[in-house]
Amino acid sequence: MKVSLFATCLTNAFYPEVDLTMAKILKHLGHTVDVPEGQVCCGQIAFNSGYVDDAREVARTLIDSFERSEVVVGPSGSCIAMIHHYYPTLFEKEPVYLKKAEDLIHKSYEFTQFVVDVLNKPDLGAHYKAKATYHPSCHATRLLGIGEAPLKLLQHVKGLELLPLPEAQLCCGFGGTFSVKMPKISEAMVAEKAEHVLTSGADILLGLDMGCLMNISGYLEKINKPVKTMHIIQLLGEGMKS
Amino acid sequence: MTNTTEFINHLASKLGRPTPTETPPPVEISVPQYRLSNTEERASIFLQNWQALGGKGAIVKSDNDMLQCLKEWFGDLPVTWFKDNPQALIAWDMLPSIAESAFSTLNWPLTRYTQSSLDPRDRYSIAAHAELGITGSDLGIALSGTIVMNSDPLRGRAVSLLPPRHLAFIETTKIRNNLFEVLEEISALGTPPAAIEMISGPSRTSDIEMDLSIGVHGPIEVYVVVTDN
Amino acid sequence: MTMYNLTTDQRVDKALADNFLRQATRRATDRLRNNKYKASDELGNWEEWRNAGETIRKHVIANLDFYLQQLIEQMEKRGVHVHLAKTPADAVGIVRNIVREHDAKSVLKSKSMISEEIHLNHALEEDGAAVVETDLGEYIIQIAGEPPSHIIVPAMHKTRQQVADLFEPIAGHALSSDTPTLTRFVRIQMREQFLRGDIGITGCNFAVANTGSIVMVTNEGNGRMVSTLPRVQITLMGMERIVPSFRELDIMLNLLARSATGQRLSSYTTILTPPKKSADSDGPEEYHLVILDHNRSEILGDKLFRTALNCIRCGACFNVCPVYRQLGGHAYGSVYSGPIGSVITPLLEKDWKKWGHLPYFSSLCGACTEGCPVRIPLHDLLVKLRMRKTQSGHTPQVEQQIFKAYRYLFTREKTLRRALRLGAHLQRPFVRNHRITGGPAPLSNWTKSRTLPMVAPKPFMQIWADLNNKR
Ligand code: SF4
Repeated sequence: MKVSLFATCLTNAFYPEVDLTMAKILKHLGHTVDVPEGQVCCGQIAFNSGYVDDAREVARTLIDSFERSEVVVGPSGSCIAMIHHYYPTLFEKEPVYLKKAEDLIHKSYEFTQFVVDVLNKPDLGAHYKAKATYHPSCHATRLLGIGEAPLKLLQHVKGLELLPLPEAQLCCGFGGTFSVKMPKISEAMVAEKAEHVLTSGADILLGLDMGCLMNISGYLEKINKPVKTMHIIQLLGEGMKS
Repeated sequence: MTNTTEFINHLASKLGRPTPTETPPPVEISVPQYRLSNTEERASIFLQNWQALGGKGAIVKSDNDMLQCLKEWFGDLPVTWFKDNPQALIAWDMLPSIAESAFSTLNWPLTRYTQSSLDPRDRYSIAAHAELGITGSDLGIALSGTIVMNSDPLRGRAVSLLPPRHLAFIETTKIRNNLFEVLEEISALGTPPAAIEMISGPSRTSDIEMDLSIGVHGPIEVYVVVTDN
Repeated sequence: MTMYNLTTDQRVDKALADNFLRQATRRATDRLRNNKYKASDELGNWEEWRNAGETIRKHVIANLDFYLQQLIEQMEKRGVHVHLAKTPADAVGIVRNIVREHDAKSVLKSKSMISEEIHLNHALEEDGAAVVETDLGEYIIQIAGEPPSHIIVPAMHKTRQQVADLFEPIAGHALSSDTPTLTRFVRIQMREQFLRGDIGITGCNFAVANTGSIVMVTNEGNGRMVSTLPRVQITLMGMERIVPSFRELDIMLNLLARSATGQRLSSYTTILTPPKKSADSDGPEEYHLVILDHNRSEILGDKLFRTALNCIRCGACFNVCPVYRQLGGHAYGSVYSGPIGSVITPLLEKDWKKWGHLPYFSSLCGACTEGCPVRIPLHDLLVKLRMRKTQSGHTPQVEQQIFKAYRYLFTREKTLRRALRLGAHLQRPFVRNHRITGGPAPLSNWTKSRTLPMVAPKPFMQIWADLNNKR
């Protein structure tokens, strides 16, 4: 299959290794990978802040860049959810782009969802010895309905012990601009999330959205708690090296 | 004060159409409802749920059962109550005959609420000072452990409300599976009575530190006798 | 009433510093939420019930004019006085008049959010009537002079000791702070009031259009007291609180009781079809129904927000909201707090200056939407409110500039690449141990409590381009 990567704006700027590893894994699975030029961002930051017109133009750029792709895969439940959940409203008054948006919706997937549900490859043959816990990010879970896929991938990693995360359903407090617009509330939320991560007893916190992980790891670091945070893609990538 | 037509027309304009002249076709509702297979099962599940809520309950099959049940629950208490308050037992004008005869056998005289005084405030006060309010019930709900009582001139709503204890009688055949059946039956009767009271257990509150506390306003103890003949 | 005078920021600080409040909120919402899960799971087909609930609510709202008219006709036919109030002031005026006409000294109230919405108590007290909140939680906050902190458990933020302290002056003697003692005190204290009350004011959970009935649920039994004993009763209802008939009522009562407290039915569900029959020995002789609009008709006419009227005030969204969990209700500053409060307050009050912060009291995690028994897309509505606020020019200039810049850069990948390279340079003074630990506003909002990763020396798009040029 020819897979186009959606390198989200966050991973592109801060965590390029996540995008790179995603490309490697998909290649390893025998697929051709490309990264269409011009793509930047799903537009969610502006959309969620109420700047719909600004969001629409950013979304348009993204739609255009994937116009010729067969399948689009991204390392973030939140960005994919933005496309699936909000693009139809964003372009409701523009039939041409509405059609294009729907096209993108039908061919775009979050990484774990794609590997498990589409490719049916829950076992990537990875080894990784560690105690880890998993934070189910809100948009992946609630908007995309991703439940089992990431867990299936993790269950197949040899040596990985998956510990339950208490109150896992609670939002970590990131919420994009929420974290800077309502910093105190956001801090209280991430503090509680960190508390649960610490009680889980895990050495590694895993997730499928770098936004949430950036938030939780940033807090853990500030309070000097040495829990490592990794995107599932990073763990799989590491585990597949051996 | 706005007049009705104006108020309704304003809503119609917000909805962007004239107000329908006929009842809109009802929405389709299809939820699988809770159902038990027979009367006996309904009675026993009803009782189980009623007890789980903190109520006391029993199924009685004979006059003798009834006497035993009341004695077991109340013992000599009524006799003690009567010493201070001859109107300690306040009741509807008419209770199921099995109950009426039990009270006369036990020699526990009942004060009939509606006849207790001509002045409503006096009646409230009598009910509030009574020790036990005694009522029948029209229907029951197995799933939620609920008794249902329609208001009626021969009854009085305060009887099940003001005394610290409430004792109700219900026939097994009056117990329905779920709320839906009860509401269906009531609406089939036409205009509903002034009040339909559905009671599921004693008065409760968790308003202080989420700590469950019984009997803040309504009855503290609730009893149901399910009669089966 | 202090919290009304604080700024949003001050209220948030106050809430976050209040450890008891935060623990109590966690404990209460956890409990209510878990009870709800049990009660919804046992049905085995909760989603079907939710679907039914949503369908019914949408149907009612789409035909609200018809059903309201039917309700009013049914009520008036039997001699109920129906009053229509456009504004909170109208509603207060109507109630005031009734109280004055009867020269009522004592007004008993069972829980009514509408009375909070229109700030009724204060007005009646000015007229010299004693207003008694009879719901235990409402009674506590009435004495404390505070608004409710939770729609179902209004005094959730009070410790039992605080409650005992509030009751003591009324009791005239010391009270131990165990719950049974406090409850018993209220029972005795309130009894007197119930038997003496001149007018009863109740809320309304549902009004049944085709029979002209009012449905009220309580657990304490105060709703029954207030609707049985006084000679005159006034029911306050928001105009959207309707079901067509008893058939739909079944669904709504199940959804309400199960979602609110995890009960199959509340302890007392009362269906009133007033007024009393002349031969009935109790129940009010004179019955007034006050139906409040207060911009609900505006919401009705606004397709973007119409679903907000579907709410059945069960509080389930409060109990899953991670923001409410940290803050409790008072930090919102509004009568209705929690997710639904953040949605309806700006719509009802129409004042961005005062209530413009509410749509941002959410990380948009969607837990509210997932928990709502009638499937109101709460987090979508919050985004739409932000949109309204932005489009009407009520957001800060700086924010507008930032998003303009965002739009410019994030539609030009190559330019962004250069900007990122610049960023990678500019971040240097703030980097410690490969993490950004400070920076200018609004970045500093983040770095106060968290570090940030460094901007990568090369963004992925560049890395990829480089890799593929080599090939
Ligand atoms: S919005 Fe939904 S969950 Fe929240 S109170 Fe209303 S009905 Fe309940």
